[in-house]
Amino acid sequence: MAQTLEIRDLRVRVEGKEILKGVTLTVRPGETHALMGPNGSGKSTLSYTLMGHPKYEVVDGDILLNGESLLELSPDERARRGLFLAMQYPVSVPGVTLYTFLRTAASAMRGYGETARRNGDQRLHAHLIPAREFRQEVNAEISKLKMDQTFLNRYLNEGFSGGEKKRAEILQMALLKPRIAILDETDSGLDIDALRIVSEGVNHLQTELGMGLLVITHYQRLLNYIHPEHVHIFYNGRVVHSAGPELGEKLEAQGYDWVQAEFGV
Amino acid sequence: MGKLDQRNNGYGPNGNGGAAREEMLTLEVNAAAVEALSDYYDEPAWMRAARRDAWALYERMDWPHTKEEAWRRLPLARYPLANRQIAVAPKPLHALRALPACWLSPLAPQTQVSGIVVHQNGAVVYQDIEAQVAKQGIVVMDLHAALRTHGDLIRQYWMQGSITRPDFNKFTALNAALWHGGTFVYVPEGARTLRPLQAMVGYDDQGSTGLHHTLIVVEKGARLTLIQDRRSLEFLPELSSEIVEIYADEGAWVRYASLQHWGEQRHSVSVQNARLARDAHLLWVNVALGGQITKDFLRTDLLAPGARGVMQGLAFATREQIIDQSTYQLHQAPDTHSDLLFRNVLRDQAKTVFYGMIRVDPGAQGTQGYQANNNLLLGKARAHAIPGLEIAANDVRCSHGATVSRLDEEQLFYLQARGIARYDAEQLLVQGFLRPIIERVPLACMRDGLDEEIAQRFRGPSASAQ
Ligand SMILES: Nc1ncnc2c1ncn2[C@@H]1O[C@H](COP(=O)(O)OP(=O)(O)OP(=O)(O)O)[C@@H](O)[C@H]1O
Ligand SMILES: [Mg+2]
Repeated sequence: MAQTLEIRDLRVRVEGKEILKGVTLTVRPGETHALMGPNGSGKSTLSYTLMGHPKYEVVDGDILLNGESLLELSPDERARRGLFLAMQYPVSVPGVTLYTFLRTAASAMRGYGETARRNGDQRLHAHLIPAREFRQEVNAEISKLKMDQTFLNRYLNEGFSGGEKKRAEILQMALLKPRIAILDETDSGLDIDALRIVSEGVNHLQTELGMGLLVITHYQRLLNYIHPEHVHIFYNGRVVHSAGPELGEKLEAQGYDWVQAEFGV
Repeated sequence: MGKLDQRNNGYGPNGNGGAAREEMLTLEVNAAAVEALSDYYDEPAWMRAARRDAWALYERMDWPHTKEEAWRRLPLARYPLANRQIAVAPKPLHALRALPACWLSPLAPQTQVSGIVVHQNGAVVYQDIEAQVAKQGIVVMDLHAALRTHGDLIRQYWMQGSITRPDFNKFTALNAALWHGGTFVYVPEGARTLRPLQAMVGYDDQGSTGLHHTLIVVEKGARLTLIQDRRSLEFLPELSSEIVEIYADEGAWVRYASLQHWGEQRHSVSVQNARLARDAHLLWVNVALGGQITKDFLRTDLLAPGARGVMQGLAFATREQIIDQSTYQLHQAPDTHSDLLFRNVLRDQAKTVFYGMIRVDPGAQGTQGYQANNNLLLGKARAHAIPGLEIAANDVRCSHGATVSRLDEEQLFYLQARGIARYDAEQLLVQGFLRPIIERVPLACMRDGLDEEIAQRFRGPSASAQ
């Protein structure tokens, strides 16, 4: 089921300091929006807030998914409603292999634990997609992203290179099949081939799922692969200007100086 | 364990190598018990003498005092020390499947081990070994019976460790005087088992003191993997004083997985000592999950160049449980290497104590000794970590470190952002925290079993919910 993400006049505080100062943005099914803005302007703050990170305090405004507010929902509930965030800095989790993590996450997203929980079955495997079935699925996705199978036995993001972490984020997206995906600088750290492979993966998923995309990036080169219909300039905690794909090219050529002059921010 | 007709040395289909006595024995803990036990087992004179000497020590010694550092944080007053009894209740089984289910299920399937000995209430109820393995002279058997078949060997090693000595404390004196029920594992020079050997020590009678004694001798160039598990079921506070002695000769390779699943009312002290000769390697995995109060002394002595000891431990303490462990890595010779990692998870009101000591003797140059203790707190629990170094040589690389932490919010957010509910994410992190130790446990089925148990302990009821 396709979903619409609506951000309404969102104001967010982090450790007492207001970072988001009234963000308004709507992402409809199948649409691709690019969000571009200087360092420290609050793009990641927006993405963490959308996903429900407890450190980010919403002081005003709302986040709606198909008209329902997400504000009271935990990150896992938001994920299960179809929201996905590919993080700018994925954390590593020593001791939990990528495979175990993916299997646990995919099982949770598909409601595998529910039956076992209802029956009071506490055994670990009763809450998970059958190993053989999941192994096949994960192998198929991992080879599409041209990642090595051995990653599955490594601890999650532990010692992964910058680009490997970003690929692993997209692998997760492919398995979890979100309705709305936020990609926070997924292109940074990817080599030229990886950028193409990852972009193709994202485009394919978008077609398959009718996914809405919010792509945060600093560079036009990603937008040459993932073609946004809308480009927004994010400046000092809010969207100051929105236009079509030509805006990305203008920013690439001219930087942000003109934004300040033109929009008086 | 191969085909049935290939087994011997057991109560299995191929004869009886044990010293199964049919009579029950119940004794008060006193001097007469020493004689009664020696009579009951028809022991050689030297063992009777050793028991008498140990009893004399026991009578002279005081129980450890909280003034001693190693006992400072342990409420020994709660141990049921007074009016102890011991009982031996042999009930030999002719098939392993006749064991109580709660002890049978944690055992690895027989096809995955080369030999097994199962103790119940101080007596062997089942033992069996693959013919191919037995042919090499390898045994895993009742220590009482072994006094007859391997008496000289046992005498040579008996309580020769640095802490596995009658006079280490009153608990070791008690074990030395009145031990009953014992595991003997012997791997002769150059021999090796294909699969692990397995021992189970279980108690389900009431009012009896567990005084199990384990002796493991691995000769030159031999290889051993042993899994020893402990289970019990009690309705009243019970007491155990256990001794484990491991002797690894030149170039021997020993992997010892020691699991502790005592019942909820067991108060235990264990003294365990591995002694490594030149180029001997030890991997020791200690899993402490059960018991009301547990005090372990775990010590590796690196006696000659090239000796290498890895000690890994995990403990998961819940509710009112106390798990208190003293570890010791002795570098007595140059070019020895030790590496210790102990990880504890604590829930509810539980308490863990870790005393770690690395000692490098003068002249033990080129030594490397590492020690790390990490504690993960889930409730109002308290973790104490007291690491120590004593270094009397100058060309060494040693480090120690201890941490106490809670679950990481950023990691939890990451897992939750992928749809995993908070509680499940916490469980995943707890399992991840213990993963490095679980990975060192032999046999996939044992590792899976431990993962399940850890999940259960994580999800189990808390003290207040009881
Ligand atoms: N936890 C925090 N504590 C204090 N300040 C924070 C915190 N998180 C974000 N900030 C501040 O909020 C501002 C916005 O940060 P944010 O990470 O959202 O920027 P960004 O637009 O994503 O930048 P970049 O392009 O460099 O990724 C910065 O000034 C940052 O220092
Ligand atoms: Mg950012």
